[in-house]
Amino acid sequence: MTPGIDTAASNRPLWLRILFAAEATRAALWPERFSPATAWAFLVPAILVVFVLVAGMGYMVDASLRELDRSTFMLSDDYSFANYATVLDRSFYWHIIGRTVAAAVIVTVITLVLAFPYAYAMARTPSAATRKLLLIGLFLPFFIGQVVRAYGWLIVLGQEGLLNSGLAWLGLDAIKLIYTYTGVLIGLVQYMLPFAVLMLAPAVTAVPEEVELASGSLGANWFATLWHVLLPMAKPGLVAAGVVVFTLTITDFAMPEIMGGGTNDFIASAIYDGYFSISEPGLGSALAVLLVLLASTLVAVIFAFVGVGTLGYTKRLER
Amino acid sequence: MTQRPLTPSRSLILPRRRLLAGAGALGAAGALGGTSLLSRLARAQDVEKPEEIIVRAWGGVWVESLDTGVSQPFTDATGIAVRHDLTEDNEIRPRIWAAVDQGRVPPIHINWDTTTNATKSALRGVTEDLSDLPNLDGLLPAAQPVGFDGYPIVNTYSYVYVMAYREEVFPEGPPTSWNVMLEDRFRGRVALYDDGIGFHPVAVILGGGSMDDIPDNMEPAWEWLRRLKEQEPLLGEDPDFTTWFQNGEIDVACTIISNARAAKQNGIPVSWTVPEEGAKVDTDGLWIPKGLPENELYWAKEYINYALSAEAMEVWCNSLGLPPTRPGLTPPEDLAGDPAYPSSEADFDRLISVPTPVLVEHEADWFAAFNEIMQG
Repeated sequence: MTPGIDTAASNRPLWLRILFAAEATRAALWPERFSPATAWAFLVPAILVVFVLVAGMGYMVDASLRELDRSTFMLSDDYSFANYATVLDRSFYWHIIGRTVAAAVIVTVITLVLAFPYAYAMARTPSAATRKLLLIGLFLPFFIGQVVRAYGWLIVLGQEGLLNSGLAWLGLDAIKLIYTYTGVLIGLVQYMLPFAVLMLAPAVTAVPEEVELASGSLGANWFATLWHVLLPMAKPGLVAAGVVVFTLTITDFAMPEIMGGGTNDFIASAIYDGYFSISEPGLGSALAVLLVLLASTLVAVIFAFVGVGTLGYTKRLER
Repeated sequence: MTQRPLTPSRSLILPRRRLLAGAGALGAAGALGGTSLLSRLARAQDVEKPEEIIVRAWGGVWVESLDTGVSQPFTDATGIAVRHDLTEDNEIRPRIWAAVDQGRVPPIHINWDTTTNATKSALRGVTEDLSDLPNLDGLLPAAQPVGFDGYPIVNTYSYVYVMAYREEVFPEGPPTSWNVMLEDRFRGRVALYDDGIGFHPVAVILGGGSMDDIPDNMEPAWEWLRRLKEQEPLLGEDPDFTTWFQNGEIDVACTIISNARAAKQNGIPVSWTVPEEGAKVDTDGLWIPKGLPENELYWAKEYINYALSAEAMEVWCNSLGLPPTRPGLTPPEDLAGDPAYPSSEADFDRLISVPTPVLVEHEADWFAAFNEIMQG
């Protein structure tokens, strides 16, 4: 309670009384002597979330080391690497892993190339109306789930969809994009673009416009300014967007399932099949563990090349 | 319930006999099955009723038929609402297994499942015994799952994986062989289930093998499927086939007759046939997971008991276009004489039946081999 203030005074406004009551409750539950631990206390929810994830992974690692007994459909009591051996032994798993990693790289590159101009336009446009329009274009897809968007693509790219109807109207042959790897990549790029723009926009906004003007006044053309000024200064955003798009793509399930026609599965589809279609949780867990290891390793490699400092952590560490 | 060890049978004729055996003798009794059943349900007032019974089902024509034939009359008679959970059968299974393992109440009361998958659950010991249901009387031997003394599952009907085709691309009549799938004109326009279910034994025949090759020598199947892979087939689930036919994406598919029939009834120009190499016939069933409160178990059993009655089965199975495991019921008019609606020895001679124990033991390997070819 604050000295000198009559908190119980009935003539205080309601909001003030609520405020004082909340403060009194806080003081009772979290006394002043605990204050050095306050910052750590705020970390508790995050630590709990991480703990749940780690515990879940622990169960998965455990299951991945147990083989399925098909006479009882229970996992064995004994530990072995049989499930990992199965994954490594079957060539189609290697195919799927290669296809998934390749898609993650391609989608990340294309998405960043498309997202940067969008983020730049949003940050630099002098027109409030244009900025609003770009923001609507950015956020609208978030209100439409991935599955709905995938089905939207089926309508656009299908045999009798908008694209082929347009081509037929022009007297051209129909093209088959739906249920192909290319179709999956198109769907993924469209899905990932808003995420990338959202991650890039603050980084581009943080680059002062005057720096670009200075670059121009020193004789640099727009490409030189882009290459030597804008991109390096926006690097934290590019790295963050790249990592987010890469990890979301490498773990994606819905888009290859819907757009792939059943023959363009990603690793997540194989995990699903392991757990559900063939009732082999050990095999599904082994694939899941391998996916986590693969994605983590690749992201670690990215950070090793570009440095964690690009995400803005270096200064804090150097103090 | 005592389980017998499941050993793969070399005789692939057994299931056909089970589907037909005693049909004539039991016909009259079967037709009477379920008489006054609704009044029996109405009388069972001394067991506390749950607010609802949750039944897992497949969507589309599948859940509609169950609702019309079984769920609505059950609700009318008992006042217990029936909620249909459309979670995929493959997805609900691990949730049930986990619930039973952890001693929790399972997420559903009744699972409508393929016999192969249901047998896996029975082997794991998560199914209730249904042997005391009065309406088991008069069912065909095929209603009882292979490898068990009791009824951890009760099979309710058989179904055929037919060749569905777009009528306009076969103006001279239905295709006679599955090999049409390999014709150049159907490149990118054929479809199978995404794990090849329903097609593996057919592919053995197509690849030059015989039923004796199953399950030890499946190479003929994989050889034929490698050729099919060159045709860039689409792979999907039940709803995909309807969508693909509707959108003009495919011309030929291997799918369950109910899906093709529902598409046709909805105006999609699709028909179906059993090609000369045959088509796979299989069964579905109902089972109850362990761990339900006593009163809910009682009413779940009453639901299945009603589903097995003649009155319920006739509406339910006729709506699906599938022959029930209760003999003597009137088949749907549009399927009379259709080889995809097997009702005689001659019909079953054209079909390919693989014993459930063989499927339980080997199907996962067949899925893996199919994926290896199609994803490669």
